[in-house]
Order: sequence, then C-alpha cells, then structure tokens
Amino acid sequence: MTDSAGMEAVARRRVNLGPDRVKELTLLGIIVLSVLMFSFLVDDYLSGRFFNRVTTSVVVVALLAAAQALVIFSRNIDLSVGSMVGVAAYLTGDFLGATEQGPLPAMLVAILVGAVLGSLNGALVAYGGVPAIIVTLGTLALFRTLLSIYSGGANILAGSLPSWVLEFNNITLVEVGGLQLRLVFVIALVVVLLLHWAFARLRWGRRIYALGSNPSAAAQAGLRTSSMVFWSFVGSGALAGLAGFMFLTRAGTISATAGAGLELESVAAAVVGGVSILGGSGTMLGAFLGAVLIDTLKLSLIRVPQVSEFWRDAFLGVLILLAVIVDVTLRNRFNRRWSSQARAAMEDSAPAAVGTARMAGGSGSADA
Amino acid sequence: MADPDPVMDITGVSKRFEATQALSDVSLSLFPGEVHALVGENGAGKSTLIKIMTGIYPADSGGMILGGEPFNPRNSADAQRSGVAAIYQEPSVFPDLSVAENIFIGHQDQGVVVDWGGMYDRAGDLLSQLDIDIDPRLPAAGLTVAGQQAVEIAKAISLDVRVLIMDEPTAALSAHEVDRLFRQVRSLRDSGVAVLFITHRLEELFAISDRISVFRDGRHISTRLVGDVSEGSLVKEMVGRDPSDFFSRGQHLEGETLLEVQGLGLTGVFSDVSFELRRGEVLGFAGLVGAGRTDLALSLFGVSPADVGTIRLEGKELQIKSPQGALANGIAYLSEDRRRLGLSVEQSLVANITLATLDRYTSSLGLIDRNREREDAEGLRRRLGIKAPSLTTPVSQLSGGNQQKAMLAKWLNTNPKVLILDEPTRGIDVGAKADVHRFIDDLATSGVSIILISSDLPEVIAMSDRVAVMREGQLVGIFSRREATQERVMAVAVGVR
Repeated sequence: MTDSAGMEAVARRRVNLGPDRVKELTLLGIIVLSVLMFSFLVDDYLSGRFFNRVTTSVVVVALLAAAQALVIFSRNIDLSVGSMVGVAAYLTGDFLGATEQGPLPAMLVAILVGAVLGSLNGALVAYGGVPAIIVTLGTLALFRTLLSIYSGGANILAGSLPSWVLEFNNITLVEVGGLQLRLVFVIALVVVLLLHWAFARLRWGRRIYALGSNPSAAAQAGLRTSSMVFWSFVGSGALAGLAGFMFLTRAGTISATAGAGLELESVAAAVVGGVSILGGSGTMLGAFLGAVLIDTLKLSLIRVPQVSEFWRDAFLGVLILLAVIVDVTLRNRFNRRWSSQARAAMEDSAPAAVGTARMAGGSGSADA
Repeated sequence: MADPDPVMDITGVSKRFEATQALSDVSLSLFPGEVHALVGENGAGKSTLIKIMTGIYPADSGGMILGGEPFNPRNSADAQRSGVAAIYQEPSVFPDLSVAENIFIGHQDQGVVVDWGGMYDRAGDLLSQLDIDIDPRLPAAGLTVAGQQAVEIAKAISLDVRVLIMDEPTAALSAHEVDRLFRQVRSLRDSGVAVLFITHRLEELFAISDRISVFRDGRHISTRLVGDVSEGSLVKEMVGRDPSDFFSRGQHLEGETLLEVQGLGLTGVFSDVSFELRRGEVLGFAGLVGAGRTDLALSLFGVSPADVGTIRLEGKELQIKSPQGALANGIAYLSEDRRRLGLSVEQSLVANITLATLDRYTSSLGLIDRNREREDAEGLRRRLGIKAPSLTTPVSQLSGGNQQKAMLAKWLNTNPKVLILDEPTRGIDVGAKADVHRFIDDLATSGVSIILISSDLPEVIAMSDRVAVMREGQLVGIFSRREATQERVMAVAVGVR
C-alpha cells in the first residue's frame, strides 16, 4: 500500500506537467530562442533599454490577450476589443481633461466604460443567441463609429491631460543594472497572474473551461451557461477598458482611430499562446507569453537594418508562423510520449481489471 | 467453409504503439461468402486490425494477401479501390452533399459534366436493393444512423467490395433497424462478400455470423464455427475470467413510492405517460429508438420540460424547468450521447467528476478546495474502477468504457434520489459493461431509484425490477420482472398484437 502510494505520488508529479505547462514552457523557450537569435543579428541588442521598451509596449496587447482568452475559453470570440480600447481611452482622456483626477479614478472609469460596452456584447451573445463573431464584428464597427461621431474628429491632446499621465509609463518600481521593472508591466503581470490563478482554482474559472469544452454537457451539469457567457464578455470588456487606460498613458494623444487593429493582434497573441480557438483549453499565462513573443519579435525586427519597413509585417508573419510550428511540433512530441505513457499505464492495469476494489490506474507506470 | 480459397489472408501481423503492443502475431483468414464475427474487449486489438486492413496504419511485421496477391494499402482510399471497405458505428457522411453524391464520392464518372440523372438512378437502385427507402436527391444531413449506414453499404457495393468490415454497426440501431441491417449483411454474404462483423452484443453474433474469432490483449485466441461456441465459453475467452458476475442482479426489497409521474406529455413528442418509481427500484424502459424514451428522460431532467402532466417526488409536486432544478431535487440524468452531451473531454478526470457538484467544494469566495475534491473523485474512481493514469489525465485520453464510468461518477457525486441512465452500456466493452451492471445493482440496493433506458433487450430485462415499454411517444405497457420476456417486450415495442 505504501509502495503504491509512493508510486502514485511520482505519477502525480509527472502528470502535473500536463499539456498546459508544456505549452507555457515551450513558449518560454521559443521567446528565449528568438532573443538569442536576434542578439546575433543586431549589435547592442541585449540591452536594458530594449528590455524596458518591450515590457512597456507589451502591456496593452498583454491585457487584450487576456481579454480575448477569457471569451475564447468559453468558446466565443471578441473582435470588438480594439474599438473598446479606443472608446475607453478617449472617454477616459475626456474625463481627465475635465476633472484632472489621479490615476486610480481614471483606471476605474476606463474599466467601467469597457465593462458597459462588453455587457452589450454579452447580452447579445448570451441572451440574443447571436454568434459571438457576428455580434462583435458588428460592435467593432458600431463602437468605432459612435466614437468618431462623439469626437467630431477632434483628438485628445497630451496638453489637455494632467501631467501624471505621460509619466505613468516611466514609473519604475525596481531597477537592476539598467533593467527597469515598470509599474505598468507589473500591473499587467499581476492581472494576468490573478486571472491565471482564478481559472485554475476558482469555481467560475473551472466552469468556464467546462462550458467552452462542451456547452451541452455544461448545461446538463446544471450550469447557468447564458449568464456565464454574459459575464465573460463583461470581463473581457473590463480588461479591454484597462488596456484602453494603458493606451492613453502610453500615447498621450488619442484620436478616434485609437486601438484599431488590436483585435487581431489580441487573437494572434492568445492563439500563439496556446489558447484553443475551439474553447475549453489554454491558460492566461500562455496568452500572456504569446503577447510577449509577438511583441518581442515586432520590436526586434525594427532593429534589424536589413529588413525594410515594407517587409516588416511579412517577416513578422513568417516568424509567428515559425514559432507556432516549432511550438506545435515540440508539444506534439511531448504529448505523444505523455499519452503513450498514459496508455501503457492503463494496459498495465488491464489484467487485474474487474474486481470492485481494484487499485485503478496503474499509477506507477509513468515511470516507464 | 465451402470455398477453400480465402479472399483475405492475414498472417503474423504485429503492431506496436510505443509502449503498447496492440497486436501480436495475429493470423486470420476470411472466406468469400462468410460473415466472420470478431469479438473481444476494448483494447483487444480489433480496431488496430481494422485500421491495418484499411490502410490507416502499416503493420510492423507480418503480411496480408487479398485475392492471392500481396495487399499493402497505403490509405483507406487505396484499400477501397482494392475492395476492402469499413463501416463504423457512427458513419461519416458529408451532411451537405446529397445521398447519391455520398455514395459515389471519390469514384463518380470521371467526365467534366456530372451525369446527375444517371447517378440518382444508380443510387436509387442500390438503396432499393438494400430495402431502404431514401431519396438519393436529399442531403445526407437528415438521415438516421441506420440511413447513413445504408449509404455506406451502398457505397461499398458500388465499389465492388470483396471484404466489408463492420465495426459495431448495430450499436445505435433499434431492433427493427438491426433486422434490416442483418438482411442487408446476409444478402452481401450471399453475393460472395466476406463480412467481418464486430459487435459487443453477444446474441447478435449468434444471429448473424458463420464463424467467430475471439481477440484478447492483442492476440488471436480462437476461431470457431458458430455452432461450436456457447455464450458462456465466448465471454470466458474474451475476458479470460469467469463470467459469473455478468448480469448479476440481486433481489430487491420493495420500497415506498418515490416518484410519481401522471399524464406527462410534450406536444408532438410523447403524451400521457404515467408511472410510479419505488425507492431502490430499477425501472427499465424498453422500446425502439425514437419511441420517446430519451425525450421523456429529458423532460424529467428539465432539458425540455413537459407541457402537461405532473411529476411528484416523495409526494411533493415538482416544477422542473431546467437541469439545475432537476439536480436540486435529486434527479440526475446520464446522457446517451457521451461525446456530445456528457463530458468536457479536454478537462481532467477530476474536473469532470465534480463539474455538477463544484458548489460543495467551493468556499464562499469561490475558491475550490482541491484536496477534498480529489478525495471524493478518487473515492469514485476506485468505486467505479475507472482506469486512468491519474485524476488529472484529460478525459479524452480514456477509453470509451472509462469515459462512461467518469460520467457515471459525475452524476453519482450529486447523490441523486432518482438516477436516469440512458443507454449506459452502449458501445463499451464486456468488462466495463459488467462493472456498470454490478454498479446499477449496488446503487439500487443502497436505495437509489433508477430509470434504465436501454435498447439492449436482454440487458434491460435482466437488470430491471419492472420493464416499461414505449412506442411512438406512448407508454404502452409495464411488465413485472416475471412477465418480462424478450418476446413479450419486443412484441409490445413494435406493436404486434
């Protein structure tokens, strides 16, 4: 008994390095790999300045990747995040221009604006029964158009904002040898880690995975699937609102086209990060790493003098594809090994198969 | 066999998947004009053999001879061109293409212009040969499973098939559809085709096959003429153990009435259904597929609430409008369609088991107590004998029988008063089936009332205290255990006077 318990512990430890951890680790490896590659191509590439630039610029996309992952987990998609960023950034800029408030109220306003917009998406998808891709394609255009009308073509200029806004991005918490850990990055990271933890440990996280994995099964298990979908869109909107706040602090100047195109970048980051577009699988940390990878590639390419501006997007596309191919190949190799161990475990226990009190599982065979 | 020359000779075939020896040194001969049944538990190697025969996997060693020539199909299209085709439990038709296009896909006329009229005519001929009334012009989307199988059989005939493999074709069919399928199989056999027939239902083997081969753990155990085999010996060879606990059903104490259904109906689906269920009773529901049994279950579970009639539980009238409502009142439902409705296959075993009961493991802040969750899941895993490497294994990695047990574990964890089991043993192997049967018995003995819907007539009769029979949306009879014979139940189910 003690022996089998010990073996079980071994098996559990091994198996815990499940598909999700593997995804995250390979992604991390690919990020390191691409940084190494660029460090050979570009002089002075590995510098504190570059680190600071990436960690500041990734914040918006990282938050949007989280917003996107949240709805993709539930087998939906949110194409309106770019427009929500624009609306939230613009309205928050207006609010700040009028009231001269500090960062915290501004952040809350941005999140609130995003959540309200998200609730419209959520209501139409969850209670209107319209597919998410249609609804959010519609609101993508709708939010943007309303913003254009509201703004009347006028931009929000840095001069009209309180002075803290432009300094917000440079607030550094810790600095080690030129590497600055900036507040905005820490905020994004904390949000992502909290969400990651919530999806692993909280009831609603588990339920959203279950919903995305098999909506009918979730309904039959007694879950309130409509309200779950609704709230995941509200959450996605709130995160997009926070991203809008970050956008405002980085750009300073906000036009009616602010944030356009970010929806596709957020989908790309989530998918590169191993979030299954079919719902039910992937992690917040994965989506975050996907955002970091894409942003690193993007900023690195600018530094390669041989690549002309015209070719940059094409190169970025190729690099993303390469990264995904390497990722999928590595992951498949690992998963194959892993699942053959699983099969072997079941085969091993097969002869003893039928008693009631059998020790199910052949847990020890992960050693094989 | 009458014909001394086999159409297909398989000699010494082995196949290994990394750590698993799926087939070891298997030899089998198929003769033209025979129905050759292949039986064995899940994991016995049947599926692997089929996949090698149809070119999906190459064999590691050994070889196949088809019609006197070496046969090494590169893929299933290649195998089909050589005359080896397979039909599966759930056929894969193209839903948006017409029936005729489905039949001729891949081998229509090679010309630029499709001869639609000729194609429809030929498809119509093939289907009428099969004694099935389907319009070849209609899209395949609306076909029943039986209809889809007929399309695949028609396709095989149009390909001049020499060896037809049928992998559990009867699993989703009702009794009269099975009869028709058997007529189709016999007429294929009589025209000289070798049919390799795989089923988990033993009585079907004896009805349809000429010879029976048993596989176990990737090995060929025996091949015998059907006349030389008994059910008992067969089951023993398949599982390599004594079949005494197969269909073991203890005697039950009669409890008081727990559930009382009065005049329940759902417009256009079923009507005027009344029955009582006692505590600790197993009430079987027999009937043809489409008789309304699943619809009745879905009403009791609140998925599609009934529009007339009353449901009383422990004397109290219930208004069940949703699965949440049903679960709150202690009614749980194990769906017949585990892939589509039952499990979140990407999720871990433990997450699936506790999905419907997460509230119990969650603090007021929504944090899941993973230790308690694991404890309960582990308890259920042992109780049901779910074979899995660990509780965190994604359910997609488990075999069909173990997935079924995982689903059962999910509902058991809700501590139901009434557990509705819809086809709980469909498509799972003999060992897992016996486990499920024993488990139903245990549960009933412990006081849970069970509604057992099954199209497996011997099963529903052997497992139930009483057998209710539905036909065309009506409850047409309830038999006590003593009265319920296969002939009687079937006669009522099909409407014979």
